[in-house]
Amino acid sequence: MSLLVLDQVHYAYPARHTLLGGRSKIRAVAGVSLALERGRTLGLVGESGCGKSTTGRLALGLIAPDAGCVAFGGEAMPAPGTAAWRALRARVQLVFQDPLGALDRRLAIGRQIAEPMVIHHLGTSDERTRRVAELLRAVGLSADLEARYPHQLSGGQRQRAVIARALATRPDLLVCDEPVSALDVSIQAQVVNLLADLQEEFGLTILFISHDLRLVRLVAHEVAVMYLGQIVEQGEPTAMFAAPAHPYSQALLAAVPNPQRRGPRALLAGEPPDPAARPTGCAFHPRCPIAVARCRGEAPALRPRADGRLVACHLADVDAASC
Amino acid sequence: MLGFVLRRLARAALTMLIVVAIAFAVLRLSADPATVILGPDAPPAAIAAFRHAWGLDRPLWMQFGFYIAALLDGDFGRSMINGATVLPLVLNRVPTTLSIMLPALLLAIGIGVPAGMFAALRRNTFADRAVMIAAVAGFTVPSFVLGLVLVLVFAVELGWLPSGGNDHWYSAILPIVTLGTGAGAVLARFTRSAMVEVLGQPYILTASAKGLLWRVVIRRHALPNAAIPLVTMIGFMVGGLLAGAVVTESVFSWPGLGRLMVTSVGSRDLAVVQCILLLVSLMMVASNLTVDLVYGLIDPRLRHGERGRL
Amino acid sequence: MPKPPSPDPTLAAAPALIELVGLRVAFDRTPALHGIDLSVRRGEALGMVGESGSGKSVTWLAALGLLPRRARVGGSVRLDGQELIGAASDALAAIRGRRIGLIFQDPVSALNPVHRVGAQIGEAVSRHRGLNGAAARAEARRLLDQVGLPDSSRRLDAYPHELSGGQNQRVMIAMALAGEPDLLIADEPTTALDTTIQAQILDLLDRLRRETGMALVLISHDLSVVGEVCERIVVMYAGRIVEDAPTAELLEAAAHPYTKGLLAAVPPLEGPRRRLAAIPGNVAQAGDLPPGCAFAPRCGDAVEACAAQVPRFQEVAPLHRAACWRLADAAP
Repeated sequence: MSLLVLDQVHYAYPARHTLLGGRSKIRAVAGVSLALERGRTLGLVGESGCGKSTTGRLALGLIAPDAGCVAFGGEAMPAPGTAAWRALRARVQLVFQDPLGALDRRLAIGRQIAEPMVIHHLGTSDERTRRVAELLRAVGLSADLEARYPHQLSGGQRQRAVIARALATRPDLLVCDEPVSALDVSIQAQVVNLLADLQEEFGLTILFISHDLRLVRLVAHEVAVMYLGQIVEQGEPTAMFAAPAHPYSQALLAAVPNPQRRGPRALLAGEPPDPAARPTGCAFHPRCPIAVARCRGEAPALRPRADGRLVACHLADVDAASC
Repeated sequence: MLGFVLRRLARAALTMLIVVAIAFAVLRLSADPATVILGPDAPPAAIAAFRHAWGLDRPLWMQFGFYIAALLDGDFGRSMINGATVLPLVLNRVPTTLSIMLPALLLAIGIGVPAGMFAALRRNTFADRAVMIAAVAGFTVPSFVLGLVLVLVFAVELGWLPSGGNDHWYSAILPIVTLGTGAGAVLARFTRSAMVEVLGQPYILTASAKGLLWRVVIRRHALPNAAIPLVTMIGFMVGGLLAGAVVTESVFSWPGLGRLMVTSVGSRDLAVVQCILLLVSLMMVASNLTVDLVYGLIDPRLRHGERGRL
Repeated sequence: MPKPPSPDPTLAAAPALIELVGLRVAFDRTPALHGIDLSVRRGEALGMVGESGSGKSVTWLAALGLLPRRARVGGSVRLDGQELIGAASDALAAIRGRRIGLIFQDPVSALNPVHRVGAQIGEAVSRHRGLNGAAARAEARRLLDQVGLPDSSRRLDAYPHELSGGQNQRVMIAMALAGEPDLLIADEPTTALDTTIQAQILDLLDRLRRETGMALVLISHDLSVVGEVCERIVVMYAGRIVEDAPTAELLEAAAHPYTKGLLAAVPPLEGPRRRLAAIPGNVAQAGDLPPGCAFAPRCGDAVEACAAQVPRFQEVAPLHRAACWRLADAAP
């Protein structure tokens, strides 16, 4: 049984109205279905406005979907703010981009790592102290950092502290939203390795949200590409990145800087789309190099190919070999 | 745009109503006007007659109802002390107060803003600290102390200026200085921090990197952005100056709204106090509305909403 | 985009457009830059790579006199023979934008929010080309076309917040080109942008460089970004240059352990999935440098000599130098 299931979830942000009173809802997530298996990592990639962060929040239950349902451990995700929801916080945790923002400037690291245990009434005071030391070791921080404050640590150390805090309650699911983007390159590798090690040691399930395809290929067992609130392609990373089926995935991969590239690369024209102004039919058709008339009128469904890859493109099924 | 203005006006009317309602209740519940005006030794019959004549023996909500009804009819009531109609009595005083308030505002802006800019451009130098210390002195000294000191020096010791009243045009000088100093000092500090914040922004570096001369960078790129928070501050200052006018007019016996307010509250001349409150809240609302409109003119981000994309 | 060609050896003898000699910068007595020696030739595409605290941005801000007053700058920066360090502010203002252009990260905040983009470009045009009014506007429009921003007439009247990040970066580039500079310094121009837009902007920078013949210095923390566009790459760490080589040479045969570490830290898009070889420890911070080689505490090849003295440059190959004591042993 999958640990986390999102079934055709939709979410729209109420839009702000301008001085002149224009109002429109912004559909951030428009029919996304995902299943996370225990102990595995699902990567979610896309550019700004694709809805990946919103999907992460839906997965955590921080927001409730307008339509569709979210199920954790086989049961429906409780509504935000209820007692059941609060108890569930011990089993799902979030690590996000800005470690300094995620930590309280006025509390020592040790206290912040212990805080989730205090909130959920786990263990005695001694047990908590022991666990904090254990967690610091697990994330590769030396024990004496326990008394330091966030501004006294480096970026990488802070992110490790955030991860330690996230693990305090022994969660089943960790949602990481751009966890290494704000870190230096040499430190990114450390933290990514750490996440992989922790997954193996504690059997964590991870939803890894990132714009960096290279990182995602490394850490994810499965990857889903999102565009304007929908999944356009999903599959095993190495195979998918070697031969992407959806034109957007192809463009995304072509855009990854690669000094070893031979020959010119196909640039994707145009701007990332505005979620407030969705195109008709397939959301990608205005920028798609191979769009046909059908793409404008009819939105393609996410369908499986013979090899298990999921693609949402009218033209993908026609001839998989030509893409 | 029209909807915006109408919405603001509706909110403004509500604000004014609430202000008057609160004052209405507080004034009537805190002391009996009859006792205050007729004196504590007046015979009970006279007091009862007074109360009845002014409708003070009716329930509070009924009194309020009558008051609002009269307002909508243009009747602001009469002074309990001399029976005069209130509106002309109050409006008469407005120009007198404005004659020190507006120059004080101009003085505050004219000295405070340049001082703040000067300090910001020379931040962390001696000049900056000197200006800021002067500013702190300017707003920590209570205005009545400042007023009295100025009277002592310029009226009593030097005899250059009168100590009170508004007989001559130069009688206004000391009240204006007293009123404007505190506001100017606050504005100086505020301008400095607004300017320092703007100077730290990436677009200032871009402007320098473009090869523009520093004075052009300040004039064309820093000032317009610093003006945005300044405009809000100046809007607030109107309220502060009105409050300051009460004290200043008392110190200098300046026959403006402030003086009238003090005497009317003291004697519980209810209609006068209420009318002044209405007027003051109207002025505050007008100044806030003006600030909001000016905001929209100088900051294009507010005109289009967060992201009106092309 | 074809693989960047290796630099023409005859060009190596050509005079440099800009030469940095012993450039030093200190903030409140903490040194941020420790003596940079670098030259850029006309038309060259140079990449500068480093992490936080490496000094890659500070180098050029110092050269152009754009650092805050409290920064102490020493050394020499010569642009076609003219000394920039210590030059009068009006002289520097004449150089900025006109001889050397500069674009930054996060274009939305790098543009003034209360002025239309056309006016901001027009300002640069007026300043450097002496055009005014309608002529300036026409030139601004031509620049927007040159940087590939569609519907340029309408865009001229837009405010920065009405445009996307990629569009704003094009505006910044147009503004930097207004003075027809000989050198364009692009400081992390694509870091805040989406991947597909990043590719567009890098492509644009490369195309413009070839079209106008101007030199380009591309600063980034991402070696791959720099490797795509630049002929030569300089790697910086803790305020010093640690390696300087042609791109192909650096990517295939990097000599300095830090460069090798950076290369290993980037997960490849092809090939087998393997654990990343991470560089241990933390990036060295300016106030807290160890004696000797700043990278030694994190270096797997470090020996005693490394901690004793700051390494000098060793010539690994023609045009390829690296500052590492271990290379001295292997030198021919």
